[in-house]
Amino acid sequence: MNEHQLKAEAADMSRYEKHKFLIMVALTIVISLVMVGFALHIYATSGAEQLDLSRPGYQSVRQQVSKKDQFDRYPSAGPIDSESLNLFRNLYNEQAKRAMVDSFGGDVLSDAALGLEAPVAQP
Amino acid sequence: MRKFLLASVLTALLVLPSASAAAEPPLSDAHLNKIRLNCVEVQSSLTQLHASDALLRVNRGQLFESISTKLMAPFNSRVALNKLDGSGLLGTTVEYERALSSFRNDYKSYEEDLAAALAIDCQAKPAEFYHLINSARRGRELVHGDVLALQKYIKQYSAQFEELAATVEEVDR
Repeated sequence: MNEHQLKAEAADMSRYEKHKFLIMVALTIVISLVMVGFALHIYATSGAEQLDLSRPGYQSVRQQVSKKDQFDRYPSAGPIDSESLNLFRNLYNEQAKRAMVDSFGGDVLSDAALGLEAPVAQP
Repeated sequence: MRKFLLASVLTALLVLPSASAAAEPPLSDAHLNKIRLNCVEVQSSLTQLHASDALLRVNRGQLFESISTKLMAPFNSRVALNKLDGSGLLGTTVEYERALSSFRNDYKSYEEDLAAALAIDCQAKPAEFYHLINSARRGRELVHGDVLALQKYIKQYSAQFEELAATVEEVDR
């Protein structure tokens, strides 16, 4: 195939065929953007965002994530006798004791705590 | 009649969104000024609370989750496999799961309100800032209620377990 034939073939190509590569690149970018958008939407709506301590502003607390919760799973198969009951009792009581700590209590968001009480009207 | 119905629906649609805003009394100028003056300092305290609550959510959530998946569910299976009556335990587990789900959802709403209160330009919009704090306060109370409910079910499950254990140990003797 000589140069003349190549030029003739190029002239015969449709607009789509001429820009096929560019269209592929553009489509790839669009699909990636759609997928990233969808992933971010799931991240924001599923509650995962609230558990993500790698976000900026959480450096101070990141190291304090408890590792103690990684206790062994109680075996779901086997007989129920004094031994298995005692094993469950010990495991359960230990975790139950830890769960009994008061959380999200207190009045830290009250007007008084934040210094936002309504000023007393002057007579 | 059709016109009347249409008018009623339109009125309801217009009135309902403002109903929640109207539930909170308007703030006086003095109060708004006080909010404007203190709000930057308040936002700084809220930033710390936001971070410490996120840590609490992760740690507590992990523990509550583990109690359900690593203890309650396997024990219920074991009880069922041994053909014992575990209906009480099962019922409590279902209630516990429901409370855990509320805990997740309520925390999410609370965190969103708190994050909005942190993001807002409180000196330009003191009333909105104050309403967001009120909303976050109510959200935090709900989360606290969920924690109390979870603790109640943990105790209830323990009591039901002890009843079952007593029955099994009596039969063994």
